[in-house]
Amino acid sequence: MKYALIAYAHPGAFDALTDEERAAFAADDAAFDAELADRNCIVAGEALAEPDTATTVRVHDGRAVLTDGPYAGVAEHLGGIVVIDVPDLDVALDLAQRCPAARTGPLEVRPIRT
Amino acid sequence: MSQYMLLIYTDAKRWEDVGEEVQNAVTGEYYTYTEALTNSGALVAGEALQGVETAKTVAQNGVVTDGPFAETTEHLGGYYLIDVETMDEAIEWAGRIPGVPHGLDRVEVRPIMVFE
Repeated sequence: MKYALIAYAHPGAFDALTDEERAAFAADDAAFDAELADRNCIVAGEALAEPDTATTVRVHDGRAVLTDGPYAGVAEHLGGIVVIDVPDLDVALDLAQRCPAARTGPLEVRPIRT
Repeated sequence: MSQYMLLIYTDAKRWEDVGEEVQNAVTGEYYTYTEALTNSGALVAGEALQGVETAKTVAQNGVVTDGPFAETTEHLGGYYLIDVETMDEAIEWAGRIPGVPHGLDRVEVRPIMVFE
């Protein structure tokens, strides 16, 4: 089964960490990535650049309208997505609970549509 | 070349309201669009997500709850990760995403973070 781990980030959550916490986060993140690689379960995964780099596209009557900034009207923004291929939801949730990104904002786990 | 994420926010209520005929037509257009993206060599990865009723959310304290994180009418429905020369090119691809002209989906385009 394929699941998407969708990481939402609280603005400034990462910046608010101390240097020590940030170093621990980076180390945990590297260890988490290594575990996913060892399990050979990564389908795709990327971290997104800051939301102020986003452009949102809407099409009205065949004409594209572009606006600067992210689309979703919530304080948290999408920070990254990892798609994993694991035996079941329990494994996906176990990995999600140990994912460092869950510390800087909510992490949503959702199955891929087949 | 740079990688851009086309994040597709989908309005499930609107999709339901348009009926099966339009749903099938737009789904067919998505297949055609994905093929065009593949043939152009720009497609890196892409997935459609199941409905938000299937989602679980893990909070910072590790507690797992049913449902999506964001309490909004539109949710992340899927994404395309593409590799193109410029933001303009990424935006052009974004405007051609089939659900967008139909008013069913909206797209956010964002560059991928590059770790040095």
